[in-house]
Amino acid sequence: MKTWSDRYTAVLGAAMAVLLLAPAGAAALANVPGQVEPSRAGAGIALVALAYAGYLALARVFGPVATSAADAAWLVLSPLPRRRVLRRTVMVLGAVSLVAGLVVALGLLSATGVQGQLALRLLVAVVLGTSVTVGGMAVAVLAQASSAWDGWLLAAIVVAVVLAVLAAIHGAATPSPAVTAAAASASAVAAAALARRAWAALERVPAHRILEASTRTGNVATAAVVMDPGALTWIIEDAHWRRQELRSRPLPRRLRGAPALAWAEWRRLVRRPPRLAVLTASSALPAVAAHAGGRLTPVAVVAVAVGALAAAAACTAGARRDVHDPSLPRLAAAGGRPLLVARSVLPALAGGAWLGSALAGLSMVGALGAGPWWLFGPAAAPALAAGALRMARRRPIDHSMPVIPTPVGALPTGPIIWALTGADLASLGCAPLLTALTGHPAALGPLLIVQGLFGTAVAAAFLLTTRPRPH
Amino acid sequence: MRRASEAVIEAVDVRLDLGGGPVLAGVDLRVDRGDIVAVLGENGSGKSTLLRCLAGLQPGVSGEIRVFQRPPVDAAWFWRDVACVADEPAWYPGLTVREHLEMMPAVHGEARMRVDAALDAFGLTKRADMAPLAMSTGQRQRLSMAMAMIRPSRLLLLDEPERGLDPAFRERLAAAVTGYTAEGGTVVMATHDLPLVEATGARPVTLEAA
Repeated sequence: MKTWSDRYTAVLGAAMAVLLLAPAGAAALANVPGQVEPSRAGAGIALVALAYAGYLALARVFGPVATSAADAAWLVLSPLPRRRVLRRTVMVLGAVSLVAGLVVALGLLSATGVQGQLALRLLVAVVLGTSVTVGGMAVAVLAQASSAWDGWLLAAIVVAVVLAVLAAIHGAATPSPAVTAAAASASAVAAAALARRAWAALERVPAHRILEASTRTGNVATAAVVMDPGALTWIIEDAHWRRQELRSRPLPRRLRGAPALAWAEWRRLVRRPPRLAVLTASSALPAVAAHAGGRLTPVAVVAVAVGALAAAAACTAGARRDVHDPSLPRLAAAGGRPLLVARSVLPALAGGAWLGSALAGLSMVGALGAGPWWLFGPAAAPALAAGALRMARRRPIDHSMPVIPTPVGALPTGPIIWALTGADLASLGCAPLLTALTGHPAALGPLLIVQGLFGTAVAAAFLLTTRPRPH
Repeated sequence: MRRASEAVIEAVDVRLDLGGGPVLAGVDLRVDRGDIVAVLGENGSGKSTLLRCLAGLQPGVSGEIRVFQRPPVDAAWFWRDVACVADEPAWYPGLTVREHLEMMPAVHGEARMRVDAALDAFGLTKRADMAPLAMSTGQRQRLSMAMAMIRPSRLLLLDEPERGLDPAFRERLAAAVTGYTAEGGTVVMATHDLPLVEATGARPVTLEAA
C-alpha cells in the first residue's frame, strides 16, 4: 500500500529529474542545426537507427516484463490478476519508453535539422520518437508472450540495422513536414494499437518467462548495487552457454602447453557468429559518427579508442576466468607468464584488426588526412592486448578506498581506479596514435614506427613485470 | 611395487588460526607413496583447510609441511605433480565436456587414459557435447574428477569427492581412486563418506575440532 510519503517521494524525484535534465535538453535543442547535408543526415539517422536496434535488443534480453524476486516467486504464481501484479512494471516500462522516445526525437532532430521550423519539427519528432519506442516496447512484451511476436521483434531489430546501413551508405534527404507528420501520425496509431494489444497479452505471458526475466533483472540490479560489473559479465556469459547446443571439436594436434589452454578463446569467438558480426560491423561506427559530425569529432575519436579496446577485451574471457577462479589453470598446471603470453595473441589480433578497420573507414569518409592510417591497427595491437589483459585481471571494485571531495563533488576512488585499470595501459601504449588523431601530423611514417615500437615495449613490460597469478 | 619409506607428504605440528580461533592445532601427517588417506572429522574440524595447507593455498600456516620433499607452493611446477579437486571450478565458457577433458592431455603433453575412456569411466559419454553448466551438480563433480584423473600426476588431493554423487557411482569412484594408487599415485581425500573410505581401503585420519 502506497503511503502519502511514498507518493511525495516519487513526485519530488520526478520533479528533481526534470529540473536536472531540462538544462541539458535545452542546450541540446539550442545546438540542433538548421540545415544538414543529405550524407550527414544519413549518418545521423544511421546512428539513431542503431541506437533503436540496441534499445529493442535490450528490451528482448531483459524481458522486458520483469518484477522483483519476491513478487516473481509469490505473486506471479498466485491466482491474482496478472495485470494488477505487474502494474508497477508496466509503469516502469512506459517511463523507459517515453525517455527513450525523447532521446530518439532529439537524435532525429540533430540528424535532419529543424530548417527554421523548430516547434513543428520538434512536435513531430517527439511524436515519432515516443511512438516507435512505445511501439517497440509493446512488441517486446508481446514477444515475451508468443514466439511468433518474438520473430517480429527480431525482424524489427534486423530492419533497424539494415536501415542504419542503408542510411549510412546512401545518405538521407530531410523529408518534408507533411511526410514526417504523416509518418508520426501513423506511428502513433500503430503504437497505440500495439500497446493495447500488449496490455491484453500481459495476462498470457507464461509465468516461467516472467520468472526468468525477473532473475536476470535481479542479477543486473544486484551487480549494479554492489557495483561488481564483472559478476554481471559472468551471469550473461554463463546464461548464454547454458542454453547453447554445442558440438565438440578436436584440439589442433600440435598444440601443447599454455597455447592449448588459450586455444579455447579462439573457439569461443567462432562459436558466437552474431557477436563476431556485431564486433566486425561496429568498426564502421567511428566513420559513421565522423560523417554525421562532418569531421573527426571527439565522439568519433572516443568511439575509436573505446571500440578497439572493447574488441580486444571481448577475447579475454579465459584470462578473466583464470584470475577469478584459478582452479582450472591449477588443474592444467599451465599458469603464469607462458599462459598470459598465449592468451595475449587473440586480443592483439582482434583489437588490431578492429582498429585498422575503423581507421580505414575514417579515411574513406575523409575524416583523416592522407596516408595509410589503417597500419596503426597492427602497430597498436600489442598495446591493446596488454590493456585488455590488464582489464581482465583487475580485481573487483575496492569499495574501502577513500572518497575524495573535489569541487565537482565526491569522487569514489575505488570505482574510478577499477574503471581505469586496463584503459590506462592501452592509452599509454597507444599514445602515438592518439597524438596522430588529435594533432593532424604532416607525415604518418615516423608516428607509425614510434607506435609499433612503443606499443610493443609497453606490452613487453606488462608481460614481464605482471606478477603471474594464480601461480 | 610400493616403496613404503618414500614419503610424499610430511606435515609436522601444523597450526592455523583463523578469525581469532584455532582451526588446526598441531596436526601431524605422513603419507607415503601409494597411500590412500581419508581425512575424517565433523564439520569445522579443519579437513578442507588441511587440504588447502597441503596444496600451498593457505596463508598463515605454522609448522612444517613438505610435499615431495619441498614446501608446497601455488606454482605451475607444483601442480604438474599435484592435482587438486576442491570446490567446483569456474568452467571455461563455450567449451563442451569433451573439450574440457581434451585440454588436460594437450596441456600436459601426455594422459593417463584416453578421453573416450575417461568419459566412459565417469559416466559422461552421453554428456560429451554439453556445456558443463547445463549438467547437474553430480555430473559436474564427475567431470571435475575425470579432469583430475585423465592428466598425469603423482598426488591427488580431493575435498569431499563424493559431493553430489549418487551411491552407485561411488563404487566407480572408489575403483578409479584405487586404480590411480595402483599406478604409483597417492591420494589424500577429505570426506564424510565412510563407505567410500571402506571401498578404497583408505587409512583414516580423524581431525578433532580445535
